[in-house]
Amino acid sequence: MLKDKIADVFNEPGCEKNQAKGAKERKKGCTKPLTPGAAAGGCAFDGAKIVLQPITDVAHLIHAPLACEGNSWDNRGAGSSGSDLWRRSFTTDLTELDVVMGQGERKLYRAVREIARTYAPPAIFVYSTCVTALIGDDIEAVCAKASETCGLPVIPVNAPGFVGSKNLGNKLAGEALLDHVIGTVEPDDVGPTDINILGEFNLAGEFWAVRPLFERLGIRIRACIPGDARYREVAAAHTARATMMECSTALINLARKMEERWGIPFFEGSFYGISDTSDALRQTARLLVGRGAPSDLLDRTEALIAEEEARAWARLEAFRPRLQGKRVLLNTGGVKSWSVVAALMEIGVEIVGTSVKKSTAEDKERIKQLLKDENHMFESMAPRDLYAKLASHEADIMLSGGRTQFIALKAKMPWLDINQERHVAYAGYDGMVELVRRIDLALSNPIWADLRDPAPWDAEGRLTAAGAAPRAEPGRDPAADPTFLAHHRRKFAGAGADDMAEC
Amino acid sequence: MPQSADRVLDHAPLFRQPEYQEMFARKREQFECPASGEAVEAQRDYARTWEYREKNLAREALVVNPAKACQPLGAVFAAAGFERTMSFVHGSQGCVAYYRSHLSRHFKEPSSAVSSSMTEDAAVFGGLNNMIDGLANTYSLYDPKMIAVSTTCMAEVIGDDLHAFIQNAKNKGSVPQDYDVPFAHTPAFVGSHVDGYDNMIKGVLEHFWKGRTRSAGEGLNLIPGFDGFCVGNNRELKRLLDLIGVSYTLIQDASDTYDTPSDGEFRMYSGGTRLEDVAAALNARATLSLQKYCTRKTLDYAAEQGQETHSFHYPLGVRGTDELLLKISELSGRPIPEAITMERGRLIDAMADSQSWLHGKKYAIFGDPDVVYGLARFVMETGGEPIHCLATNGTKAWEEEMQALLASSPFGASGQVWAGKDLWHLRSLLFTEPVDFVLGNSYAKYLERDTGTPLIRTAFPIFDRHHHHRFPVMGYQGGLRLLTTILDKIFDKLDQDTIDPAKTDYSFDLTR
Repeated sequence: MLKDKIADVFNEPGCEKNQAKGAKERKKGCTKPLTPGAAAGGCAFDGAKIVLQPITDVAHLIHAPLACEGNSWDNRGAGSSGSDLWRRSFTTDLTELDVVMGQGERKLYRAVREIARTYAPPAIFVYSTCVTALIGDDIEAVCAKASETCGLPVIPVNAPGFVGSKNLGNKLAGEALLDHVIGTVEPDDVGPTDINILGEFNLAGEFWAVRPLFERLGIRIRACIPGDARYREVAAAHTARATMMECSTALINLARKMEERWGIPFFEGSFYGISDTSDALRQTARLLVGRGAPSDLLDRTEALIAEEEARAWARLEAFRPRLQGKRVLLNTGGVKSWSVVAALMEIGVEIVGTSVKKSTAEDKERIKQLLKDENHMFESMAPRDLYAKLASHEADIMLSGGRTQFIALKAKMPWLDINQERHVAYAGYDGMVELVRRIDLALSNPIWADLRDPAPWDAEGRLTAAGAAPRAEPGRDPAADPTFLAHHRRKFAGAGADDMAEC
Repeated sequence: MPQSADRVLDHAPLFRQPEYQEMFARKREQFECPASGEAVEAQRDYARTWEYREKNLAREALVVNPAKACQPLGAVFAAAGFERTMSFVHGSQGCVAYYRSHLSRHFKEPSSAVSSSMTEDAAVFGGLNNMIDGLANTYSLYDPKMIAVSTTCMAEVIGDDLHAFIQNAKNKGSVPQDYDVPFAHTPAFVGSHVDGYDNMIKGVLEHFWKGRTRSAGEGLNLIPGFDGFCVGNNRELKRLLDLIGVSYTLIQDASDTYDTPSDGEFRMYSGGTRLEDVAAALNARATLSLQKYCTRKTLDYAAEQGQETHSFHYPLGVRGTDELLLKISELSGRPIPEAITMERGRLIDAMADSQSWLHGKKYAIFGDPDVVYGLARFVMETGGEPIHCLATNGTKAWEEEMQALLASSPFGASGQVWAGKDLWHLRSLLFTEPVDFVLGNSYAKYLERDTGTPLIRTAFPIFDRHHHHRFPVMGYQGGLRLLTTILDKIFDKLDQDTIDPAKTDYSFDLTR
């Protein structure tokens, strides 16, 4: 039952936040009830789809009226190195008659059958949504039946939007993988240096910037869930020897239960920033060696880290004089908060504030240590507070996601997208250099001056002193141009010796 | 045969059919004595080198693909901006056919102009008779309110004197004595179309202003200059001027001439600056030219009449438009209304929204001197870098102005100015010092193909795309249009580069 599943997720022992609560509060979960009338983030369906959709060769079928899928089609730029099936917008497109007559289940079954015939994917993920859950469509039953008749896994993802937040949806998606996918395929090439990465979405192809680092060490990524994953990789994830978890708020339940069920140890790490990337490699090697991988892996890892760090620092040094003392306001969801803090401080950027809304207690502890001042952390900042901070020049730039972009722009401040809608990879050593380069570019864009300066006339539309002042730019005023008269008094304009146009 | 009445293929797929491909190959082998494929490749590679570039830039006598047209074209365009005016080009027929088709191809509108059809005997004995007959015929055939006379090379080489000829023609009764026949000598072997524009406008002003006494008033004259975007730009200018509430005369307004509705009626003439307004413009407080290099002699003449004169370099974008509006506001004493301030804010907002995509993009810009200046300035406002600024009709003075413009912004640091160079020079420049985009006219589509540099069409002439001239690029709204045009190309390029499914489509994004 969905209710039990949700209770189970709320009970997650890996989540320190929840464990700190009493039994009664824990049952209510982390999410505060949303304030009616106040702006809010995504729903559980959104969260589930975010976590599962980047599995690229799977057909993702949304059992819903059109808009659930229509509005969320391709709203995150996860990179795929192969199939583009994941990007197709499959939906049952439920209509009024279907709802009234209760034809949803039949429609869903037919849709699954059609996908299986037309696309022959390795699996189909079926997502329930508010409407189909409310009318009581039993997607588990339909999936089980369809799985049998079509001869391929049809996985129900039971996370209708109304059950809770995006974050809850993330975790329910993890549960769906545990219940129906992971452990269903036994690979024949299991090795001592296989790992899983959890909570990596390969946004803007970011993971591709990191993957080669592991390959150079001879470490095989059995499954990166979900970034650029194939179904069979995910299904065989239980054979890995260790797990790195990137986004703990999204998939802590998955990491912990995989450890419980298959004994795969995990650690939490990040690829944002130089020392964090090094740390991730180091911890991975350590866990693998602990489970029987050859011990020279540790030395080879240290050698790789030394080489890569030196290269990255050399490239970063050029930016230090330009960025030293620049003040940054961070407003990002979850995982990036503390890792980006560490990364930026490494090159002398000052952090004037960072959101920790979705950070774990551990994240916050890390940030506290880095910033040495709790005042720079804010649980949640209303748009108007962000605006006030920026408008009063407390920061030189804001790094955030697309939804708060326009707060910065309206406050006439530079802004850089570091969330899912961006198109540039910031992970790993090279990604860090790129992030710094992008901050430098954003800060030095000439448009900010235009944005800040008032129009050169006053509120009444009359010339201001600035507008009437003689202009610094050349060639604007013929009277100020000594060559002007000389040139335009010629018999035929431009016919002189100085006219290179002639032949 | 692949072509059949049931399924008629158009040219694009038809000639890809094997029959045609074989025919092409056969003709090539039998009639062209072609060099070997390797030799062609080797030559192509050589043309990409710095060595070839040095030789190319050292070229002295030969001009290849000049980015300019001749004076009479400018004169014909200038004349098209006046009420019921027929352009009369004194010279041979063929040149005029070319001006008409050139303008028609750009504006997708009929373009009227006549010639005095000089032939060999006229060249030997002088073209007076052609002028006498020509004016009479034009007057009776096309019923113009004014005939604007310019010249081609031929008339200039034999030294026909327009002033005397026109007077002679009037004496002979070709046209009434008091009929308006302004004229300008526009030899094609001097300067370029921007000078022809200048000469013709000056000719018209002189015709209406000569011998009259000026009584200074409050109005402003605006001369747009040779502008392939005149339909959109002139209308936008008029809208802005009306919003400010200025009394003005747009001298040379071709916006209606080159944009007549399709309602079953052929209009040989449409709109244009009214002749009485041109005459009254003598009393204006000041004359403003939107393109300095299009109006050097005209402004000089206006100044001699006692008017204040100001010139701009194709005012575009935030600063360019600011500068123009401020000058208008200052001269007229009228405040700039809130509505325009809001438009300005919207342009800046749009530029800020897109800044990360524009920042650091490198451009080659070519065209008329003022247009190149205006575009380079706008590009730098968006964080772009003009790397090559080229005007075949650019002068030493223009080169200095461009250098100063580039020096005024860190984004101009890598900019180079190429006065007097042609598009074949630009080809070498694009191979050796590549840029992300070329800003210019349709002729650069061959550079786009050769060098792989995407072309953003922003100047005159645009033959291979439709309707660009209908949208303004001046004013803040025009800035939005220009910004969008540039961004569209940036995104199109990115999409093209990442279009292969499962190979390169990692950046083939829906949301940007």
